[in-house]
Formats: sequence, C-alpha cells, structure tokens
Amino acid sequence: MSDIGSDGVLAGVKELSPIQKLAMHGLVFLIIFGGWEVGARLGYVNELILPAPTSIAYRLYEMFFVTGSIYWHYIITMYEATMGFIIGVSIGMGLAITAAISPVFRRYWAPYAVVFNVTPGIAVTPFIIAWFGFGWSSKIALAALVCFFPPFINTLTGLLHIDKDATELFRSLGSTKKQFFWKCQIPSALPIIIAGLKLAMTGALIGTIVAQFFSASEGVGILMQRFAFRLNMDGSFAALIVMSLMGLSLFTLMEYMDYKVLYWRRHSRMEEVGSKRKRKWLAENGDFSA
Amino acid sequence: MAEELVIQGSALGKQFGENVIAVEDANFTIPRGSFISLVGPSGCGKSTLLRLISGLIEKSGGDLLVRNAEVVGPRSDIGMMFQKAVLLDWRTSIENVLLPDEIRGTIDTDAKKRAWDHLQLVGLKDFEFSFPRQLSGGMQQRVALARLLQTGADIMLLDEPFGALDEFTRERLNDELLRIVEGPDITTIFVTHNIQEAIYLADQVFVMTPRPGRIAAQIEIDLPTPRNIDMTTTPEFNNYVQQVRDVLAGHLDGQPL
Ligand SMILES: Nc1ncnc2c1ncn2[C@@H]1O[C@H](COP(=O)(O)OP(=O)(O)OP(=O)(O)O)[C@@H](O)[C@H]1O
Ligand SMILES: [Mg+2]
Repeated sequence: MSDIGSDGVLAGVKELSPIQKLAMHGLVFLIIFGGWEVGARLGYVNELILPAPTSIAYRLYEMFFVTGSIYWHYIITMYEATMGFIIGVSIGMGLAITAAISPVFRRYWAPYAVVFNVTPGIAVTPFIIAWFGFGWSSKIALAALVCFFPPFINTLTGLLHIDKDATELFRSLGSTKKQFFWKCQIPSALPIIIAGLKLAMTGALIGTIVAQFFSASEGVGILMQRFAFRLNMDGSFAALIVMSLMGLSLFTLMEYMDYKVLYWRRHSRMEEVGSKRKRKWLAENGDFSA
Repeated sequence: MAEELVIQGSALGKQFGENVIAVEDANFTIPRGSFISLVGPSGCGKSTLLRLISGLIEKSGGDLLVRNAEVVGPRSDIGMMFQKAVLLDWRTSIENVLLPDEIRGTIDTDAKKRAWDHLQLVGLKDFEFSFPRQLSGGMQQRVALARLLQTGADIMLLDEPFGALDEFTRERLNDELLRIVEGPDITTIFVTHNIQEAIYLADQVFVMTPRPGRIAAQIEIDLPTPRNIDMTTTPEFNNYVQQVRDVLAGHLDGQPL
C-alpha cells in the first residue's frame, strides 16, 4: 500500500511488514549503541566523557538489583515531584477558575500570573531554598512553582473559549451559571486542561531535580550530582536514565488519563463507552422500543 | 374563529452600539400554529430578530409580546435551533436530547421515554448511544431537532437549521420538519437565505432588507398543504418567488454595493 499524503513526520516512509519494521528498529538501535560501545571500548571516546553503554547498563543493574540503592532516591523524587504537581496544579486551576468566574479578578489579578510566568521559575531556586530550607519542602515548592502556569493558562483559556451558540443554547434552556459551568464549560475545556497537566508534569519533575541539584540529601538529582563530583560517569549516566524512566512513567500516566477521560476524541473509545452506556441504560430503563 | 396571536411586535427595534441598527420598526403578528419563513440577505437582522423573540437579547425600542406578555428573558415555551447542531461531544444522542430535562430538573422515566421517542421520530433509531462525532452533519441536526422537541416548547425558532447541509439532506429534513410541526399547536419561525425554501415551507414569508434591518414585506403563501416538491414548479409558486425577488430588488436598487 502506498502512503502518499499519510500522516505527519512519517509521510513518505515506505510501508513495511511488522517483521521488517522490527528489524529496522533493531538495526537502528544496533548502529547507535553498537557504534557507541565499540567507540568507547576501542578508546575513541574517553570513558570519562562518555562511558560505554554496557558500563551504564551494568551500573543500572547494580543500583536496582544488587545494592537496591536507587529505590529510596527514586521514591523521594517521585514523591516531591508529585506533591509539587498536585499543589501547583491546584493553585493554577483554582486561580484559573476564579478568573473565569470573576471578570474583576481576571482583569486586575491575572496579569500578575503572566508576569510571573515570563520570569524563569528555575531562577527562583535560591530564594526557594532560602525560604523553605534544604529538606523536601523546597523541592516541592519549586516543582509547584515551575508547573503552576500551564494548568492556569490552559484552564482559563478552555473555560473562556466556549462556543457562542452553546452559551445561547444553555441560556435558552434556562440554565443556571453553575449548570453551565459543570455541564458545558468544564467538559469543553477538559482537552486543553489535560494538555496543560501534561506540561505541568514535566515541569514538576524538572523543578524537583533542579532543586535537588542545588541542595539535597536525597533524590535522584543529588545522586547524579555526587556521581559527577567523583567523576563517576557511568553512575551519572545511570542516574540520568533513571530520570528519563521517571519522566516516561509520569508521561505514560498522563497519556492513560487522556485516554480514559477524553473518550470522545477517539473512535475506538467512543464505541466502547457508547456500548457501555447502552448496557447501563437498558439495565436501568429497559428497552422503550420493545 | 378568531386567530390566537402568539407573537406580536410593534415598532420593535434593536441597535448595537452607536451605529448598527440591526432591526428597525418591525411590526408583525404571528398566529398560533403558523409557519413563518424569515428570508433576506446576510446581515439584515434575521438572527437578531430571532434572538429578540427568544429573550436572549433585549430590545432597544418598541414592543414585543409573546402570549401577551412582554419578553424579559428566555422562556420555556420557546425553543431554538441553530445552523450548527451545538451538541455536547461527550454525550450520546440520548443524553444530548435529555439535556433540557437535566437543566430543569425534570428527569424521570417519562422524560427518558419521550427522549427515546423523539429520537425515533427524527429517524435516529439505533443511534441513541452514538456520540456526535460518530454521526454525519445531517444526523447531528436530527439530534438537535429531537432535543428541541424534548423542550416541549411550542414556539420554535430555527436559525438556518439545515443551512450547512447538502441539498438532498436539506430537502429531506425540511419535509420531516414540516411533518413534525404541522397542526395547530406549534408555531415556527424559520430563517433562511433561500427564497424557494422559504416559500415552500411557510404559511407566511417575512422578507427582510438590510441597513437598517426592516421587514419589508409579509407575504401570505396560499398554496395547498401538505406541500410537496411538485408544487415548486407551478406558476403560483414562481409567482411568489418573483414577489420576494421584487421586494429585495426594489430595496437593493438604490443601494450602494
Ligand atoms: N452582538 C452584536 N454586536 C454588534 N453588532 C451585531 C451583533 N449581532 C449582530 N450584529 C450586527 O447586526 C446586523 C444583523 O446581524 P444578524 O446576525 O441579525 O444578521 P443575519 O440576517 O442573521 O445575517 P446572516 O444571514 O449572515 O446570519 C449585522 O450588521 C451584524 O454585524
Ligand atoms: Mg444569522
């Protein structure tokens, strides 16, 4: 099958059988990591700058399965990022909802959020450490700070950009503001709100790790820092990969939420949810056509 | 038997800001059970007139009575339908149709039964649990029509309801609409750009002209009911088309383009 005009970045890629595709992926993987490995082993690449993949892999194996030293750092980092995420998102969405409901608030207070946003959050780290100390609270605070804006601006945009006809429909049905908010504004805004949450999730992880770089006694950020100080490059890289793993797991979580919540944006999900609701309806009300 | 008037406008006007006179000096009476087509070029104030009657916007002058009461806001005996279906994407057809009951807090088995029947009536059997994005444009408008019926409103304001659909679908839906609203109870105002469509559907055609938006003529359509498509080729029909054209042309002649 030719794929002229097919989707996005994959346009123009010749359609292969699944086995051929797998082989292609394997080949590319082999070229990158095989080349890297060989380069490192033969001394073309200084192991102090770029350690061989197998050394990094061994270090990872050691962290997870021999000493188990990574788990505590992993858990504490995830905890700080998640708490920061929850706090930042709550504040961001809370302010956005207030701004959406109150024009006065929107007009006179919301501009500060924008000024706040254009200030790089990371640059505030020293203050955050000064205010919140060296413990986990400063990590959570920075994570919250860094991830606050996307949910704020996305929620506000989503709540305000409601189809004019939908507004008139609800008004003509005699809807209260509260009904309109819950039955129209919030669901209409969900896709863009969730897009904001995805950005926030990444932001929370970045904020946590940067704060850990600055000062911390536990966490993957400080672990990496320690390895780097000791010129232990395999360890540093292993820590980096652990960070990617964290990012990936949080990302997957968000994708899953997207998949579950925004069912009306996917055809397969609409079928699934539609037939579920049909079963529920028939169980509750029986079949009116019968 | 004296006709019962449901809607009366006299010297009705609506101005937006300083300069835009969207509706000026509109005088009309609409008897119960009649079908009024509102035809006119884009921007002549058709939607504005509809929104005035629906209570969505406030008039700037004159009088507007619905069932002998001044219009002060949306009322439950008036229902609206737009060019877009305006369905909630996250709700199935039946859930969309039940929206009016949900808002009024009147959801019960009886309401559910009526919603179900309305979907059958508009030809959506087996699509009760489809989401809007699984439906064609025509089917989406059918859901919107079922939702309008569900409101129980007996005054229906339809703003180019099938204007975005292809001609075949539009003709079919027009016929189905006529079938649904015929009889002495439901009063309909139907906005369209299409002169033939306006005449074909209506008991009376209001012709509107722009700048300022005025009702330039009210033409009684004396064709037999129920209508059928063969009538559109008769001399009488074409006579009405010519009348509407003359009104619009007479107005447009002296106007700068
Ligand atoms: N909310 C508003 N504020 C300012 N001007 C408005 C508003 N609504 C409508 N108008 C103006 O009033 C005039 C009539 O608009 P209206 O929408 O009633 O026309 P219409 O006959 O429905 O046109 P169309 O056939 O394109 O739908 C237009 O000039 C329009 O720009
Ligand atoms: Mg209009």
